[in-house]
Amino acid sequence: MFIYEKKLQYPVKIKNTNPKLANIIISQYGGPDGELGASLRYLSQRYAMPYPELKGLLTDIGTEELGHLEMIGAIVHQLTRNLTEDQIKTAGFDAYFVDHTTGVYPTAASGWPYSAASMQVKGDVIADLAEDMGAEQKARVTYDNILRLSDDPDVNDVIRFLREREVVHFQRFGEAMRLAKDKMDQKNVYYINPVFDKK
Amino acid sequence: MYSDNGPTSRPCPDANGLMPSCAPLAVPYVPFQQEGSQKYDQTEALANGTLFPGLNLPFHVKVKGGDLPRTASAELQALQFVLVELGLYLDTHQDDQEAFELFQKYAALAEEGKRRYEAMYGPLTQRAAAMDASYQWLNDPWPWEYDQKGAGK
Repeated sequence: MFIYEKKLQYPVKIKNTNPKLANIIISQYGGPDGELGASLRYLSQRYAMPYPELKGLLTDIGTEELGHLEMIGAIVHQLTRNLTEDQIKTAGFDAYFVDHTTGVYPTAASGWPYSAASMQVKGDVIADLAEDMGAEQKARVTYDNILRLSDDPDVNDVIRFLREREVVHFQRFGEAMRLAKDKMDQKNVYYINPVFDKK
Repeated sequence: MYSDNGPTSRPCPDANGLMPSCAPLAVPYVPFQQEGSQKYDQTEALANGTLFPGLNLPFHVKVKGGDLPRTASAELQALQFVLVELGLYLDTHQDDQEAFELFQKYAALAEEGKRRYEAMYGPLTQRAAAMDASYQWLNDPWPWEYDQKGAGK
């Protein structure tokens, strides 16, 4: 089960409103490589994991990603607080505003609502961990691109933190892949799917 | 700023890890982080987004870690962050006794920090709200709200 702690993983204190920037950062809330997809992917992949290290790692990273989802929500919320009439007409944000006012909705920056089609649960340990390593890299690049586009130091501090977490998660998924491999057929890891095929 | 509190006979530099020789084909390999890797203290760990200097690989646009507010909440965040980071490390290094002892040490510090924080600012979980004389769970601000008045929190 999950228990909520009334705090963020890392402080989010954005002084200046900036709807244009919010319109970009929302992608890490509900976009194809965002934190919602990350947590759903890892927490859902757990059920078909054959080894305890992998069940644990997916649980723990999936849980951390839920905390990151909350941080991205906090950034978007703070960037869109107390908007003026002029600010809601900001190019790009006006389209979001007409649908969601200043609520935080899981969507990609391109306007595509969150879709589970951007993630996969394959039920195979090597395929799923390889997807997870790719997912961490894609999220890392999204944060790189946000850093290129944003000149707000309050936002960039948080984005740097989240980006670094992707690097660490990539490392752990890579190690998990090796732990799994060591437990599989040493001559051919593709010989069976250990969670499905009974030896 | 960090201490090298591990065994001194690690074969690779700190930012490098261990790979098998003659690895089988068609399987991806990430080097294993070595036991006894260098570690930041909790404040620098939170600021950089990792406990491990060897894994701190920033993007050229934003190289420096964040300037954290000196608040009770940031102190608690730092302690709990080390626990999260060590937890993931232990998931793939369950036999690293030194890391486990550090995990135990930080768990105690974080527990203490949590009690201190709750005494000053109210419950962090709904369950903890049962310990107060009246129901304080609903008090603003919630975590996503920017709270200039309560900036010291």
